[in-house]
Amino acid sequence: MRTSQTLRHLIGPIELLHEQAGPRLLRLTRLGVFALWIVKLLLDPLWRLAEMPREMLHPVGILALLPESALDALLTWNGLAALIVFTLGVLVLALTDKAFPVVATIAAVLLTAYSSLIRSFGPAVHTDIVLLLAVYSLAAFAWADWIALKFGGKKSLPAAWSSYPLVTIVAMLCLSYCLVGLNRTIAGGVHVFTGDTMEAWAVDASLRGYYFNTNIGWHIPEWPAVVFMLSSGLPVITLFEITAPLCLVVPHFRWIFIPVMLSFHLLSLVFMNIFFFDDMLCYLLLFDWSRRFPALQAPLRQTPA
Amino acid sequence: MTTSPRAPSRLHPAIAGVIIALIAALFIWLLSFSPWKVVPFALAGQAYVLIAILLAFRYWPPMIRWVTSMSVPHRAVFGVLIGSMILGHYTLNGRTYFPYVVWEIFPFVNERDPVTCREFIATTESGARVRLLAEQLFPSIVQIDPLDALDNPRLYPPGATERLARALARVYNEHHTGDPVRRVDLFVMAVKLHPPASESRAQPSCELLKRYDISSGQ
Repeated sequence: MRTSQTLRHLIGPIELLHEQAGPRLLRLTRLGVFALWIVKLLLDPLWRLAEMPREMLHPVGILALLPESALDALLTWNGLAALIVFTLGVLVLALTDKAFPVVATIAAVLLTAYSSLIRSFGPAVHTDIVLLLAVYSLAAFAWADWIALKFGGKKSLPAAWSSYPLVTIVAMLCLSYCLVGLNRTIAGGVHVFTGDTMEAWAVDASLRGYYFNTNIGWHIPEWPAVVFMLSSGLPVITLFEITAPLCLVVPHFRWIFIPVMLSFHLLSLVFMNIFFFDDMLCYLLLFDWSRRFPALQAPLRQTPA
Repeated sequence: MTTSPRAPSRLHPAIAGVIIALIAALFIWLLSFSPWKVVPFALAGQAYVLIAILLAFRYWPPMIRWVTSMSVPHRAVFGVLIGSMILGHYTLNGRTYFPYVVWEIFPFVNERDPVTCREFIATTESGARVRLLAEQLFPSIVQIDPLDALDNPRLYPPGATERLARALARVYNEHHTGDPVRRVDLFVMAVKLHPPASESRAQPSCELLKRYDISSGQ
C-alpha cells in the first residue's frame, strides 16, 4: 500500500498538456513559430547555393517534382534570392494573423520548398523538421476552425479549439523522438548499445565538422570518462526518446525529460558538432503555460480571431 | 461531451506491461542474436511497440475526452498529421516524402576503427592553412554527403570532388579577397578508437590523397 502511494506520489498528476490552452497561447505559439523561421531565414545566405556544382543537387521531396528547367531557374542567384525574400514576406504576413489559413498554407508550401532545397545537397537531416510540421499544424487547424465555423456555425467550434494545434505539435515532437528511439533499439538491436558504436559515431561526426565545429569530439578516445559517458548515456537517452510521449500526460516526467534531453543536445553540439536548436526551442511548448497563467487559459466558449 | 463508461479491463496493467515488454524483447532478440536478420522483424517490432503506445493513449480518459471534443475537421487534421509522420517513417525513405521521413539517427552498429574522414585543407596566398567546410561556406546546407561518397559513380559523376573543391575555394575567395586560396589538398584523416599508449594524439593522422591547384583559375 505504502509502495503504491509512494509510486503515485512520484508519478504525480496525470493530465493532458495544454488541455486548458486558450487563444492567447495559440497566438503566442504562432508568433513564436513564424518568428523563429524568420530569424532562421534572415541568417541564411541562400543565394550562395548558386555557386554549388549542379551535380551535388539530388532533389528532395517536392523539389523532385519540378522539371529540370525550373530547378535550373531556381538555382541561380536571382532565383534563390527571390525564394528567400518571398518566403520572408509571407512569414511576416503570417505574424499579422490576417487571413491566417491562406497565409499559413502558402508559408507551409514555401518552407517545405526551402527545407527540401537545403537538404538536396546531402542527406535529409532531421533538424527543424518538427518546426516545419508545426507550421503544417498551425495552418491545417486554422482551416479546420474555418470549416467548423463555416458549416456548423459558432456553436460547432469546441471550447478547446486553441489546444488542438498545440497538443498536436507536442505530439509530433514526442513522436519524432519516439520513432528515433524505437528504430535504434529494434532495428539496430542490442549491439548498438554495446562496444564502440557511440564512440565511433561521435568521432566520425566530429572529424567531419559541420556549421558548428568545436573540433573536440575526435579527442574522445583519449578520455575514458567521456567514452563511458557516451556509451552509458546512449541507452539512457534512447529510453527517454522512446518514452517521450509521456511528456504529453505526465508533468513530473517532463521535469526530468527537459533537462536530460537539453543536456543531450548540448553534448551533441560539443562532441559531435550537431545542434538541434529548433527542437530545443520547441521545448518551450513542453511547459503547461495555461495552467500557470490564467490569462492564457481558454474561456468556456470562444471563437477564432 | 460524455463518454459511455467502459467495463474495467480484466488484465492488470502491470501484467499487460510485462507481456508487451516481453514481446518487444523477443523482437530485439530476433534482430540482435538470431540468425534470421530480416527487415520485416525490424518493421514489425517498431510497429508493435508503437501500437502499444498509441493504444495506451487511445484508452486514457483525458485523451478520449480531448479527441471526442473535436469536430470532424479537427479530428481529420490531427489524424492526418500524426498518421503521415508514422507512414513516412515506414516508407524507409528519407528523401522522397520529405518532411515525412524515416526517423533514424545512429540506427546501426558502427564498428569502424580507425574512424576515417576526408577533408579539404586549403593553402592561401600567405601560406596559411584553412579547412574548407561546405557547411560553413554554404550555411544553408545542414550537411553534405561525406566526401568519399563523391567517388561513388552511382551518386555523383566523375570529377565531382574537384568541382566541389573549386566551388569551396571560389566562395572562400569571395569573402577573403586579401588572402585568397591558391591550393586545396584532399586529405583523409584517421582517428584510432584504441590507439597504442605510445602513439601521439595531438592531431588525427592524415594522408594526402589529391592536390588541386586553384591559382590556375580552372
